[in-house]
Amino acid sequence: MSSNIAQFRLIFAVALRNLWLDRLRTIIIGGLIGTGAFLAVIGLSLLLDVQASMRASITQSIAGDLQIYSAGAKDKLALFGGSGFMGRADIGSLPDFAPYRDAVLGHPNVAAFVPMGLDMAVLSRGNELDDAIDALRVALKAGDESIITGRVDQIKFQLDQVKLELAARRLLSSDQVEIDQQERDLARALAPEFFSQGKAIDEEHLQFLETKIAPLSGEKLPTYLQYIGTDIAAYRANFPKFKVIEGAALEPGQRGIMLSRKVREELLKNGVAKLFDKLHKRLVKRGGTISGDEENQRFATDLSKQYQQILSYLDRPNAEELSAKLTARGIKDDSPDLVQRLSHQVSAFLTVDDKNFSERYHWFYEHIAPKIKLYEVLPGQTITVRNYTRSGYIKTLPLKVHGIYNFDGLEDSDLAGVLNIMDLVSFRELYGQMTDASRKELEAMRAQVGMRDVKSEDAEAALFGDGGLASAAPSEAASETVGDVSSSNQALIVKPTLADFFDPAEVQNGLALNAAVRLKDPSQQNRTEAELRDKLDQGGYKVNIVDWQQASGIVGQFVNIVGGTLVFALSVIFLVAFVIINNSIIVGTLNRTREIGTMRAIGAQRSFIVTLFLAETGITGMLGAFSGAVAATAIILMAGRKGIPAANDVVTFIFSGPRLYPVIHWQVVTSVPLLITLFATLASIYAARHAAKVQPADATQEKE
Amino acid sequence: MAAVVKIAGVEKVYPLGKTEVRALSGIDLSIDEGEFTTIAGPSGCGKSTLLNLIGCMDIPTRGEVYIEGQPIAKLSDRELTRLRLEKLGFIFQSFNLIPVLTVFQNVEFPLLLQGRWTRAERQAKVTALLAEVDLLKQQQQRSSELSGGQRQRVAIARALVTNPRIVLADEPTANLDSATGERIIELMKNINKTHKTTFIFSTHDPQVMRQAGRIVRLKDGHVAAEQRS
Ligand SMILES: Nc1ncnc2c1ncn2[C@@H]1O[C@H](COP(=O)(O)OP(=O)(O)OP(=O)(O)O)[C@@H](O)[C@H]1O
Ligand SMILES: [Mg+2]
Repeated sequence: MSSNIAQFRLIFAVALRNLWLDRLRTIIIGGLIGTGAFLAVIGLSLLLDVQASMRASITQSIAGDLQIYSAGAKDKLALFGGSGFMGRADIGSLPDFAPYRDAVLGHPNVAAFVPMGLDMAVLSRGNELDDAIDALRVALKAGDESIITGRVDQIKFQLDQVKLELAARRLLSSDQVEIDQQERDLARALAPEFFSQGKAIDEEHLQFLETKIAPLSGEKLPTYLQYIGTDIAAYRANFPKFKVIEGAALEPGQRGIMLSRKVREELLKNGVAKLFDKLHKRLVKRGGTISGDEENQRFATDLSKQYQQILSYLDRPNAEELSAKLTARGIKDDSPDLVQRLSHQVSAFLTVDDKNFSERYHWFYEHIAPKIKLYEVLPGQTITVRNYTRSGYIKTLPLKVHGIYNFDGLEDSDLAGVLNIMDLVSFRELYGQMTDASRKELEAMRAQVGMRDVKSEDAEAALFGDGGLASAAPSEAASETVGDVSSSNQALIVKPTLADFFDPAEVQNGLALNAAVRLKDPSQQNRTEAELRDKLDQGGYKVNIVDWQQASGIVGQFVNIVGGTLVFALSVIFLVAFVIINNSIIVGTLNRTREIGTMRAIGAQRSFIVTLFLAETGITGMLGAFSGAVAATAIILMAGRKGIPAANDVVTFIFSGPRLYPVIHWQVVTSVPLLITLFATLASIYAARHAAKVQPADATQEKE
Repeated sequence: MAAVVKIAGVEKVYPLGKTEVRALSGIDLSIDEGEFTTIAGPSGCGKSTLLNLIGCMDIPTRGEVYIEGQPIAKLSDRELTRLRLEKLGFIFQSFNLIPVLTVFQNVEFPLLLQGRWTRAERQAKVTALLAEVDLLKQQQQRSSELSGGQRQRVAIARALVTNPRIVLADEPTANLDSATGERIIELMKNINKTHKTTFIFSTHDPQVMRQAGRIVRLKDGHVAAEQRS
C-alpha cells in the first residue's frame, strides 16, 4: 500500500522534474489551458447570470415559461421582435383556445394559461392645427364667447406660423403654382373677415381649415403600434413585472389599451423633449460630450432646428410669456413680429453646447414643458388605431388609453418596451376575426359599394392614406358599421362601434393567437414541455410549444448563441492545446529515449511510462486550469462589485437592467478546471502511448 | 549446478534497410548459477546483442533463450518486463541513472516498481546496498553531482537491490579510467562471491577480462573460444 503511494510520489517527482526542465513548454501548455479555463469559467458564469436574469424578466413580463401557438403558423413566434422590420408575423391562430387551456391546465406542473395575441396596427395622428380646429368646434358647440375667442386666437397664432413655413417652402419647392394656390388659401384664412362671424362660424369655414390649411402645417408620420391582446385578469395575475406607472390599469372587462412607457417616450413625446432626453442620457448619465462626438453633434444640430415643435403648441399669451422669459434670461431678439421673434429666441435657446446643456435641459423642463403638450397622448384619452385585417379589409378602432406601464427591471430596454397591451376583445376586432354575422355583414357592404375583392396595395394605401387623430374625413363619419370607398383608393374601411365594457366571460374562450403557460416549478420546464407536447398531440391539438427563450425571438436566443460561440471558442483553444500537447510530448520523447529505455529495461511496464506522461500533462493542466479559474473568479468578484454596464439596448434587455452583477457559481469554478484537467490528461494519451513504445534496448543509445 | 541461462541455437538478425545484419549466428551457451562470466570480442561481434537477449530486452530471431529454465521467445512485452524486474539486474556503460532522483531514490526505484515492499523494508535494503558500495554518505545527493565511479556504484546497487539471479553489464568500465574500472570489477566480484549472484558482462579490456571466472569469446556472431580460469 505505502509502496503504491511511494510509486505515485516517484512518478510525481519525475514528472515535476521534467516539467521544470522543459519550463517553456510547460508554460505554453499551462498558459493555453489556463486561458481556456479562464474563458470557460467567466463565460459560463456570465451565461448562467444572464440566463437567470433574462429568464426572470422574460417569463414574468410577457412570455411565461412556455408559449403555445398554432402548428399552422407560417412564422416563428417572436414576442420581442425578430421577424422582419415592420413585418407582421403570421403565427396562425387558435380559433377557440378553451380546449387547449383545459388540456394544458390538466398538467400538474402548470400554474396558469394566459391567452394572447400578438399583432401590430397603425396609430393615426393629427397635427396641432387639427387639434386646435377640433377644440374650436367643441367650443362653438358649447357657445362660450370667451373660450371661442381664445380658440380662434390660438388658430390665428398657428396660421401666422404656417405663413412663415410656407414662405420658407416657396424657396425650396419646384411647384410654384401649388404654392401660389396654398398662399391664396392661407390669405383667405388670415383675412380679418374669416373669423368675423364669431360665435356663428360655420362648418364650411372649419372644413376649409381642416382640408386646405391644416395639411400645410406639417403631417405627422403614421406610426406602428405593436401590441399584445390578452385576458387582462389572467395577465395581471401571472406577470408580476407589469407595473402601471401613470394613469390606471386596464381592468378585466374594460376595453382599451395600456401604452408602454418606452413607446410613448419614443413615438409620442414632443420632439424637443425627446432630443433633450436623449442628449441628457448621453452627456450627463454616460458622461459624453457634444464636441468631438459625431452622433451627439447630430442630435444637438437636430435640436436647434426643432423650434416649431415648441411654437406650434403655444397660444399667443403663452408665446408672449415665453418670449419675455427668454429675453429676461438673456436670449434677445428685436423682430417686432411675435412668431418671428420667438422662433429666433427658441432656436437660440435650443442651440446647446457642452457648457450650457445641463442648465438648458432643466430650464426647458421647468419653463417650457408645462406650456406645451409633452406627450401626444395622455392617460384617459382615446387613440384611433387602424389595421388591415386578416379578412381583407381595414378596420379602425378607437381605444381608450387607460395608463402607461413598464416592465420592472426592463425600463430602459427598447426591445421590451415595444409592446403595448390591450384587451382581447379589441384585439380580436382589429385582428378581423370573422364570425358568421360579420362575414354576412361584410358581404352586404361589399355588394353595396360594388366591390368583389380588396387589393392589398390599396388597403395598405388606405391604411396610411389619411391621418387624423381626431379628424375624421366627413365622408367617413363614424356611426354604425359602414362601408366606404374613399376617393383616392379602393379599400373597404370598417369602423365598428364597440362598447367600452364587455362581459369578462367573452375572453374565457374564443380566438387567441398564442398562449403563455406559467409553471409551478420552472426547473421542470423541459419535462413539462415534452409532456404537454405529448398530451396535446394525443388530444389532436396541432400546436407549437416553445420555451421562453425561443418565444422571445432573436434576443431570447442570445443565451444559446453566446453559449454556442463560447463552446466553439473553447473547442478551438482545446484543439490547439490538444495538438501542442501531443506534439510536444512526441518531440520530447526523442530527448528522453534513454531515460524511458532505462526505466523499461530495469522493469518499468509500459503503463508506468504512460502514467508518467499523463501525470505530466495532468499536473500542467491542473496548474494552468486552476490558475485560470482563480483569475476568472477574481475578475468576476471585481465585476460583481461594480456591475457590468450594458453597452446598448439589446444588452440592457439581456442583462435585464442597466447593469449585470455577476456572481460566483462555485460549481462552475470547481468543475470547469477539473474537467479541463481531465480533458488535457486524456488528450495526451495518444502521445503517452507513443512514448511508452520506446524499447528497453534503447537505454544503451548513446545520447546526452 | 543448474544453468540459470541457457542459449540454444540462437540467431539474431536485424533488418537494415533492404538487407539484414546477422548479429548472432548460432550461439549455444550455458551459464551456471554464481558464475562470473565475461563476453569478449572485437567491436561489432555481437556482445551487446547477446547481452540484450539474455537480459530479455529483445527476443531471438531463431533459437531460444532460457532464464532459469523459462523460454523467453514467446513471452509478451509485459511478461518480459516482469522477468527483467524480478530476475535480472542491469549495469550500463553510461550508468543510466535517473538524474532528478537522489542516490537513494535511484536505488529504491526497482523496489517501487515491484510494489510489494514496505517503507521500512525498502529503507533497509537500500541502505544495506549503499553501505556495500560505500555511498551511504551520498545517499541524498543527486546522481548528477557524483563522479563516474560513484555513479556506477549507484548503478550496481540499483541492479542488486531486487536481489536478482543474474546481473548483466554491457561494458561497465568503458566510461571509467582503468583504476576506477578495476575497483568496479572488484566490487562486482565481491558481490558475486558474497551474494552468489550470477554476473555476465562484456568488455574489451584484457585487464578486466583477467578478473573473470569464464571468458566467452565471440567473433562474427558466434562463439569463437571459451576459457575458464
Ligand atoms: N538495432 C540494430 N539494428 C541493426 N543492426 C544492429 C543493431 N544492433 C546491432 N546491430 C549490428 O549487429 C552487429 C553486432 O552489434 P553489437 O552491438 O552486438 O556488437 P558489439 O560486439 O556490442 O560491438 P561494440 O564492441 O562496438 O559494442 C553489428 O554489426 C551491429 O552493427
Ligand atoms: Mg556493444
